[in-house]
Amino acid sequence: MPLIPRTPLDRRTFLQGMGAMIALPQLEAMRPVGRAARALAQAGDPTRVLFLEMVHGAAGCSPFGQAEHLWSPRETGSSFSLAGTSLSPLEPWRHTLSIISNTDVRNAEAYKPEEIGGDHFRSSAVFLTQAHPTQTEGSDVHAGTSIDQLYARRFGQGTPIPSMQLCIEPLDRAGGCAYGYSCLYTDSISWASPTEPLPMVRDPRVAFEQLFGVGSTPAERAARTRSTASVLDWITGRVAELRRELGVADRQRVDQYLENVREIERRIQQVEARNRSGEERELAGAPAGVPDSFGDHVRLMFDLQVLALQADMTRVFSFKLGRDASSRVYPESGVMTGFHPASHHGNNPARVKEFAEINKYHVGLLPYLLEKLNATMDGDTPLLQKTAIVYGSPMADGNTHNHRRCPLLVLGGANGRHAGNRHVMAPDGTPMANAMLELLHRLGVDDVTQFGDSTGTLAF
Amino acid sequence: MRTLLLLPLLAGAALTVPGDPVPPRRTAPPPPPSAAVRPAVHPVLRPISRVATRVASRPLVRPPAARAPLAPAAMGPVLTQYCGKCHNNTSRRGNLSLAGYDALRAPDAAEVSEKIVTKLRLGMMPPAGSARPTGDTLDAIAALLEQQLDSAASARPDPGYRTFQRLNRAEYRASVLALLGLEVDAANYLPPDTKSDGFDNIADAQALSPMLLDAYLRAASDLSWLAVGNRAAAAASVTWTVPKLASQMEHVPGTPYGTRGGIAVTHTFPADGDYRLDANFFHETTGAFAGGLARGERLELSVDGERVALLEVDRFMTAADPNGVAMSSEPVRISAGTHRLAAAFVPPGFQTVSQELVSPLKYSLFSTSNATAYGFQQLPHLREFTVRGPLRVTGVSETATRRRIFRCRPADASGGSAEARTCARTIITRLGTEAYRRALTPGDVDGLLALYEGGRAGTGGFEGGIRAALEGILASPDFVFRFERAPADARPGVAYRLRDEELAVRLAFFLWSAPPDAALREAAARGRLGTPAGVEREVRRMLADPRASSLATRFAAQWLRLPDLAQVQPDIRQYTDFDEQLRGAMQRETELFFDDLVRRDRSALELFRADYTFVNEQLARHYGIPGVAGPQFRRVRYPDSTRGGILGHASVLTLTSHATRTSAVERGKWVMEVLLHSPPPPPPPGVPDLEATPGAADGRLLTVRERMAAHRANPTCASCHRMIDPIGLALEGFDVTGRVRLRDNGMPIDTRTELWDGTPAANLPALRAALLRRQESLLRTFTQNLMAYALGRRVEAGDMPAVRAIVRGAGAQQHRMSAYILGVVRTPAFRMQRPPEPVAASSDR
Repeated sequence: MPLIPRTPLDRRTFLQGMGAMIALPQLEAMRPVGRAARALAQAGDPTRVLFLEMVHGAAGCSPFGQAEHLWSPRETGSSFSLAGTSLSPLEPWRHTLSIISNTDVRNAEAYKPEEIGGDHFRSSAVFLTQAHPTQTEGSDVHAGTSIDQLYARRFGQGTPIPSMQLCIEPLDRAGGCAYGYSCLYTDSISWASPTEPLPMVRDPRVAFEQLFGVGSTPAERAARTRSTASVLDWITGRVAELRRELGVADRQRVDQYLENVREIERRIQQVEARNRSGEERELAGAPAGVPDSFGDHVRLMFDLQVLALQADMTRVFSFKLGRDASSRVYPESGVMTGFHPASHHGNNPARVKEFAEINKYHVGLLPYLLEKLNATMDGDTPLLQKTAIVYGSPMADGNTHNHRRCPLLVLGGANGRHAGNRHVMAPDGTPMANAMLELLHRLGVDDVTQFGDSTGTLAF
Repeated sequence: MRTLLLLPLLAGAALTVPGDPVPPRRTAPPPPPSAAVRPAVHPVLRPISRVATRVASRPLVRPPAARAPLAPAAMGPVLTQYCGKCHNNTSRRGNLSLAGYDALRAPDAAEVSEKIVTKLRLGMMPPAGSARPTGDTLDAIAALLEQQLDSAASARPDPGYRTFQRLNRAEYRASVLALLGLEVDAANYLPPDTKSDGFDNIADAQALSPMLLDAYLRAASDLSWLAVGNRAAAAASVTWTVPKLASQMEHVPGTPYGTRGGIAVTHTFPADGDYRLDANFFHETTGAFAGGLARGERLELSVDGERVALLEVDRFMTAADPNGVAMSSEPVRISAGTHRLAAAFVPPGFQTVSQELVSPLKYSLFSTSNATAYGFQQLPHLREFTVRGPLRVTGVSETATRRRIFRCRPADASGGSAEARTCARTIITRLGTEAYRRALTPGDVDGLLALYEGGRAGTGGFEGGIRAALEGILASPDFVFRFERAPADARPGVAYRLRDEELAVRLAFFLWSAPPDAALREAAARGRLGTPAGVEREVRRMLADPRASSLATRFAAQWLRLPDLAQVQPDIRQYTDFDEQLRGAMQRETELFFDDLVRRDRSALELFRADYTFVNEQLARHYGIPGVAGPQFRRVRYPDSTRGGILGHASVLTLTSHATRTSAVERGKWVMEVLLHSPPPPPPPGVPDLEATPGAADGRLLTVRERMAAHRANPTCASCHRMIDPIGLALEGFDVTGRVRLRDNGMPIDTRTELWDGTPAANLPALRAALLRRQESLLRTFTQNLMAYALGRRVEAGDMPAVRAIVRGAGAQQHRMSAYILGVVRTPAFRMQRPPEPVAASSDR
């Protein structure tokens, strides 16, 4: 049994319920026993995976942008130049970057006349599922199981939290968004099953407490941990008495309880040992809530992801950076047009270039994550070498809402299963699902032969 | 053997048992003598063709019931003849074989016997269309089997056993409230409860795990700080979300009168200090503030009903603004402890009526994509409400919770003096006794005092020590679990009585979902729970207490599966009056209805036949009941017989529907599982969904009924759906939200159907009448569920004699609710435990 039941929580209570999750980092001695441990042993040292979604496609996917190579470079193979593209902030990281161009997210397209125009409210559900969402505003939502969940099912069970879902923009979690689509499609990119979208956490504080426990400063958290430790110690004594007081039939359950007590005690000891070693393991202070600035919010969420991976609390993240049809202005990008209006640039060269600046700003947030992962050692290997990062959009040309030739990047060493410094131009009509299926295979989920509308795999 | 000797006598008595009024029918000629000569027909296909012919020829007026004594020895041959064709080792229909079953030794195979009894009492077997024995033979067999089972049980009573329960979310909340006067949302701390048989308090399903322990530990730590107060509290934020489906056009309960929409919450503040209140509004899909056409809207923020800020709503906000569509208060000084916060709109002095030209009002609330379009004049809607702080701590002032904890205060704040330790002992003993629901042992007190000393050391002082002890109390297994101690001489297989203290705990969690109060603990301590009269006095006192409403909100709600209501989201464009408030009202109706039955001690049969219900204005409008104004619920009599009992409740009809269509299957299944305790087997794998059958034919849309008929043409499905669907079809006159309808998909609906036993039914009254003719089954199912909830374990075959005894006893008291509740409390299963005998461990080795 996984330590955390994978049953999705009631959507309404999910955010409140987060407090119940495991609080302490996972270290060698806390590895679970039994089935989970066996799964872990088979898995070895699974690759950490981050799936990042940006909405609205890219300027470089419009006719003008494509001609000008505003997203991906002109050259394919390994000698490409990122100068002048929205990907230019990744130049220092090109050795670990694969650009996968020309793949389609056909399942985000309209199947029926009444679906036409609803691209914004359908796309996010398609990105990681590559499945076509049923048009409904009711509770009968249906898409597909997302790639992060397929991976977490196999390799996420050994950590306290099999996978985490984070986002930046506010959610509705119910109700209709537009064009007859439930907001559930717009709100989440992670689907535990075709009918179970997983709620995404927007408040860094909530995510932080889920990972590292309650308390605003390391000192406060340490004080709380000490208090809990002495309570546990005292409980252990009480359990011995209980074994005498209770009947035989209940003793087994008391023993199980005692095992749980010991498990938590072990975790606390491990944490304390690590803390004494003086290693910087935590943020100086827990975030008070959602930062006002987009950039700060994203960087804080990246911090949390790196910390969680470092502490091996979870190995799978999906992170939704935008919300479809959002008109958010990113002052740090230097562009004062809202995100959504900017994406409807009408293929007007000046406005396409303006949109490309926003894309570049978004991509420019990635080096912060990459630097942190590269500076964090897991054993003697930088975490970046053990991580795969997928960044992309289920939309291509936001101006026309089309889903052909969508942006897709893969970063990180993936435990030696991803090389980088490559620009792959897929043959026309290749589903993005082919690249995702290839990724699944490389990450060890090799018995999946079909993903979404895949027609095979796309080597990259 | 002794029981068998009694049988002839009992058989005679059985015939005076009020007969099942379903008259006998003309039966088919006896089946062919040998299976070998039977033509090889698909076993499923055959009954269908039979139905078609037999239904037509069945007389509507039936001859008076023939009553001839049935010799016990005749049972076997009858069962073999009429049941053995399907329930044999080869076919094993319904996973049941009667080969080797000896009807004269029913208690030896109690599980099979009870299955037979259930199906025979319901008239579900043999299925309609198959040959049945004449007269009341089947009922007589059921009675004979029951007699055997019941006398075997009274000769060798077995109260059963269940392991200790743990506090689930609801019980945890109630326990913290009782102990500390602190309102907490247990969902903030504890993982969702695991359920078994629909209930969240079934002991052996309450698995333990490190995660769960961690959750309890974290809650203990958090709540101890919150209760005592935290001078070092750092800023944090808590956000509440208003569901998009909640109407904000009217006053929201808890917000100041005269306001519109918004949200009211209770929140416990860790310290006195400055807090900021943030409001985030719904916006149009592309960013414009939804409600920007309304002028002069203001948002009032209030603490305990007192205005702390009045924000002029900026109608030109957009999502593109740096802070999005949001506004904040200046820092507000709020004291430690629990306060009621509200954010609600103050309508301008002059406000035009909201006009909708294009689509129904509720739709524009539901979908903010059109907030600024012509024809919609939408008013602003609150989306999220956030408390951020403390930005600056000024101290911890007295709170109700602190007063409750600190009954004494030493002069010495460090807590090291003898006086302080005596005071600590007093506080800890009082809190511990209440939390553990029992008297503390010296060892308990010493352990908690040690925690006090640990917390006192350093900077903690007296209050820090008490906090540490409180954390221990809340984390203790004695608080989290409800242990029942075995007597020293307990032996496996031998039943023993629970101590009165433990019986009091069982009573309290059964009737209140909360720990025992002082009066109940006192009654237990004085031995007043030792006599039937004493127990009855306590039960009646407890049933009169407001906490007894948990029987409605927890027992009845879970039995009737009301939590499922939250999963259904009817398509807003078809069901235009549905919103969050209506969903809540539906649930409330059923809960109030049940609560009223308990409070007025009415007959349990009113569950099924009451000609009244509880509605507020919104629900009354939904039902079309005139003359109900205002948000408060009241009892009303139905104007006609269209509805009646819980089967006509919108809650039940909605939770058994899909978003866009009703489901005869879900409704039929609900009745079979929830009311008749006769769950249909799960569908075989690979069965096509109803959605896979075409939704249109001959150029027109099909009704659900027509699509069902196409679906049932599949023989694999037909055998069960013949029982399930008709029940639901009789309810087709109610739409997805439980409204009366005449058309489905634009086509007139046809609700005529024949129930599993051949009774025709075309509407709810007919279905209700047919069910009430099986009132014994309904009451047994109700009792089984009540008992499972009361015991915290699943009710099994061995408990059925007790269930029947409770129903029989209640029958003598007009089936009053108290007769059922007391009946359950009086069963040995509620008052005793019988440790299981160790199962021969050889199976593993």
